[in-house]
Amino acid sequence: MSAEEKKKALTVFKTDRHEDVAACCFAGLAVVIVLCYMAFFLPSVTIKAPVDGKLTEIKVKVGDTIAEGQPLYVYETKKKKFVQGQMQETSVSETFKSKTPGKVLSVKLAPGEAFKKGNGLLVVEHVKGTLP
Amino acid sequence: MEERGFLGKLAAIVPGLAMMVVTLYLLKQVVEPWLAGVAVFGQKGYITKSIGLNYVLMSILVGMAYRNLLFRGSIPGWAAEGFRTTRLFIKTGVIMLGSLYTIQSLAKVGGLAIALIVAFVFGTIFFVMWMGKKLGMDRSMVGVMGAACGVCGVSAAIATSPGVKAKPAEVALAIATILGFGIMSMFITPPIGRALGLSDYQFGAWVGTGILNSGQVLATCLSFNPAIAPGTAVAYGEIWNVVRVISIPFVVFFITLWYWRGEAQEEHMSLWGILKSKFPIFVLGFFGMTALSSFDMLGKEGSETLHMLRDWMAWIFGIGMVGLGAYIDFGEIKKAGGAPLKIGVAAGTLKLVLSLVIILLFIGKEASF
Repeated sequence: MSAEEKKKALTVFKTDRHEDVAACCFAGLAVVIVLCYMAFFLPSVTIKAPVDGKLTEIKVKVGDTIAEGQPLYVYETKKKKFVQGQMQETSVSETFKSKTPGKVLSVKLAPGEAFKKGNGLLVVEHVKGTLP
Repeated sequence: MEERGFLGKLAAIVPGLAMMVVTLYLLKQVVEPWLAGVAVFGQKGYITKSIGLNYVLMSILVGMAYRNLLFRGSIPGWAAEGFRTTRLFIKTGVIMLGSLYTIQSLAKVGGLAIALIVAFVFGTIFFVMWMGKKLGMDRSMVGVMGAACGVCGVSAAIATSPGVKAKPAEVALAIATILGFGIMSMFITPPIGRALGLSDYQFGAWVGTGILNSGQVLATCLSFNPAIAPGTAVAYGEIWNVVRVISIPFVVFFITLWYWRGEAQEEHMSLWGILKSKFPIFVLGFFGMTALSSFDMLGKEGSETLHMLRDWMAWIFGIGMVGLGAYIDFGEIKKAGGAPLKIGVAAGTLKLVLSLVIILLFIGKEASF
């Protein structure tokens, strides 16, 4: 197989340049779809846990209107840190702040309950045109 | 050969692409969660976490099995066009990875990445030239091997070949040798990284410097840590990878200049001409994404919008990984041999070991961003 044939066999496009442009368009399209869906079509936002942890305090209740940057809940999590080349795990308390304005529709966990990364903690009504 | 219209070409892609998507779906949504629940030595998640057999590694292995066992060495016509979208998915994923950074974070790590990559890329090329001379290899073969070992297996070897008048067989040999070495690195570096207790930052810097192919760098980083977020192996490895990919036109220029100087023939070459024709413009998309992320136009860090974007990225990469596995042909690797194999293995091993030593000595466990 010649070099050109080998290269051709790796792509459906005429040249690498065409493939690069197509990848830019494909990535742009994926971003536009995600942003449009999140900004205009998402009816409510489930705020998911960023890491594994334990809920220590919920700072909002159902029906509250929240602003961007407002603290929503406090949780305890394990943080890994390298100290003198050794990994050490320490328990830290973190506050999760809202990334978007909205109204709290439901609170799914109570203080003291443990959660896994990706578990839904709160459901918030989405304000159209914002990126939650 | 029959000419197909746009719709015909699109239809030809569907069967192979569907096979890659279904494979990824089963591995990511069914097999990996099942393996995570299996207890080995009384420990749940031993296979996925301690051994590191996650959906990324499984995608590559299944892709390899398709090519070498199911299809017996060559992807059949009905699936070939679909599998040829592999690099499109990998490049798209690389562009979207730009969203993991901000301009400030790139500026913090970028300087170190540039210094390491420039030193290793050109250091490897000089080593290949020296070893090629010692082994009495043809200069055109040395040129192609220098590009393949120094910067990026497939792209650089092909980009350099016309400039050094390389024969097609020489290019194919250089590619097979270097990809073979890359496959070995892809499977051995994650366990070495875990055994040495490397952090995500150190591991990303190591494989970004030592491994020679974009897809293989991504696959290795995701095997080490499948998370796609700032501060993970793939986020760090990709900075090194992008710097390496950007250096391709400069390497092509340098090697072509070396070849023609040695041949004592006059060649009118311009760096600008090579930059225009060889610059990998998809990296501009990567930087465009970083610019959007720097101005919070993709959602704030920790937002659901960014979570969704990263989920999409994981799927796009995953499809690319199945395809990457399916392009690993044991038959082609077996064909590589002789002096090119000696040079490829020596240069690849030296680069991988030296970069590990430098990272262990000079790079801290935690990055500055």
